[in-house]
Amino acid sequence: MGWVPLPEGSQWAIELVGLRKTFLLQHQMAGSLKRAAVTLLRRRRPESREVLRGIDLRVGRGETVALIGRNGSGKSTLLSLIARVYRPSAGVVRVTGRVAPLLELGAGFHPDLTGLENLELYGALLGIPIATLRARTPEIVQFAFDTPDMLEKVDTPLRNYSDGMKMRLGFSIAVHTEPDILIVDEVLAVGDEAFQLKCLRRIADFQTEGKTILFVSHDMRVVRRVATRAVWLDGGTVRMDDGVGAVVDAYVAAAEGHTALT
Amino acid sequence: MLTELREVWRYRELLWQLVRRNLKVRYKNSRLGFFWSIAPPLLEVLVITFAMKRATGFAEHFPSYSAFVIVAMIPWSYFQNAILDASQSILEMNGVIRKVYMPREIIPLAVAISNLIHFMLSWLVFFVYWWLVVGGPLLPTTVWFPFLVLVQFMLVTGLGLLVASLNVFYEDVKYIASILMRLGFFLLPIMYVAEQVQHRSSDLAFSIYMLNPLATLITAYRKVLLQSPTVEAIGGPSLPLDVAGMLITGAVSLAVLVGCYAFFNRRKWQFVERP
Repeated sequence: MGWVPLPEGSQWAIELVGLRKTFLLQHQMAGSLKRAAVTLLRRRRPESREVLRGIDLRVGRGETVALIGRNGSGKSTLLSLIARVYRPSAGVVRVTGRVAPLLELGAGFHPDLTGLENLELYGALLGIPIATLRARTPEIVQFAFDTPDMLEKVDTPLRNYSDGMKMRLGFSIAVHTEPDILIVDEVLAVGDEAFQLKCLRRIADFQTEGKTILFVSHDMRVVRRVATRAVWLDGGTVRMDDGVGAVVDAYVAAAEGHTALT
Repeated sequence: MLTELREVWRYRELLWQLVRRNLKVRYKNSRLGFFWSIAPPLLEVLVITFAMKRATGFAEHFPSYSAFVIVAMIPWSYFQNAILDASQSILEMNGVIRKVYMPREIIPLAVAISNLIHFMLSWLVFFVYWWLVVGGPLLPTTVWFPFLVLVQFMLVTGLGLLVASLNVFYEDVKYIASILMRLGFFLLPIMYVAEQVQHRSSDLAFSIYMLNPLATLITAYRKVLLQSPTVEAIGGPSLPLDVAGMLITGAVSLAVLVGCYAFFNRRKWQFVERP
């Protein structure tokens, strides 16, 4: 059970078998000793919620798959399981190669350190040797900050950065370190139009290089443009898994039907 | 546990990055840097020396009372800072561990290591002062010093793992820890020496007092680095260097480290699921 690397020669980049994930509900979970004592006294069993109810999914090498679905359908949980942040409650996650979750240089990165210093930490988080990272730093910075105004701030503490700049730097490092699987969870939304286009171009390069991309987006324009295949998650199960056109059409139709009813 | 350790080794570059970050952050935005790490304990030593030697007659006959206080204060500051830093460490990195995989123990481990570096720098300052400026005697027992540092590092790392994991689920832990630290200052032989406790209590009570690994460690640092205080200073004969006691404390610290690491490992996957 759990998270297992796939053998080198496997045709799959990601293989999920009978994947389930259950969380304890927030109001039942002890956050302080007092709450723990009260819970113990009342002898209530913690309530749980099953977010993923048995997902079977295979993603081939070089595929770009979009995960779509309503809020709370389990998309982010699924990505987190693949990124090895959560441990499955049941089932198996198998992955080939290095997984790079795209993340903005936000929480957990130190606001007093400069963008470059935080970059080194992020690199180490992704498992990139420091020498490789340093060699690529100019390229990473150039990709992220294309105006002189932004470029000026590279050496200043992270707290001077806007949300957009943090996202730019995060995206840039993730794509410049040659991961085998790129995981993108709706972060691109923060960037401006020009940077979004740049990211989409870079993702296209990735696709031609035969890398695997798994992403979550609510922007159906982006989904149609980037993905070749889409997986529609609904209530923790796969409702539809097909070519991107068919799935997005069905999803949009369902969403419109739902809105019409209410 | 071996697989876990191998995984930590695989991520050693990240560990080093985190240690560097902890050190950098500490001195960022301050002009005097390392000075701020040693100034507070030094000021405390000055005030304690004044209180015990000038304002009261408690330490009147001690040959170099402030050296005794410093030698206790350096390990105590290390313990205190490392444990308090560790208690917050996982929560501070929550934003990262919710998104990226890493062996979670690296976070409190980095705290323990960066504090160890401070600890050694503080000792360096003391040694320069004690041996070069004051001209204190270099005792042959100083060879035990690295052993004591190792024992304390195991103890601090173990307890750091414990409080780091507990504080994720019960944030009361950091308050409890800071209260215990304030009490510990008076309970441990910092302002006084262990012999003074011994001469005023039964053998049983003193054995219980010395069960605390920190009491044994602080006493051992004093024994290996400084000459024993005179009979008239402490009101009785001073204890010999307790080699068996040091070895037992070493074994206890190792057991604490292994036990707390096992505890941490059982909980580490739940950190991110904390609401």
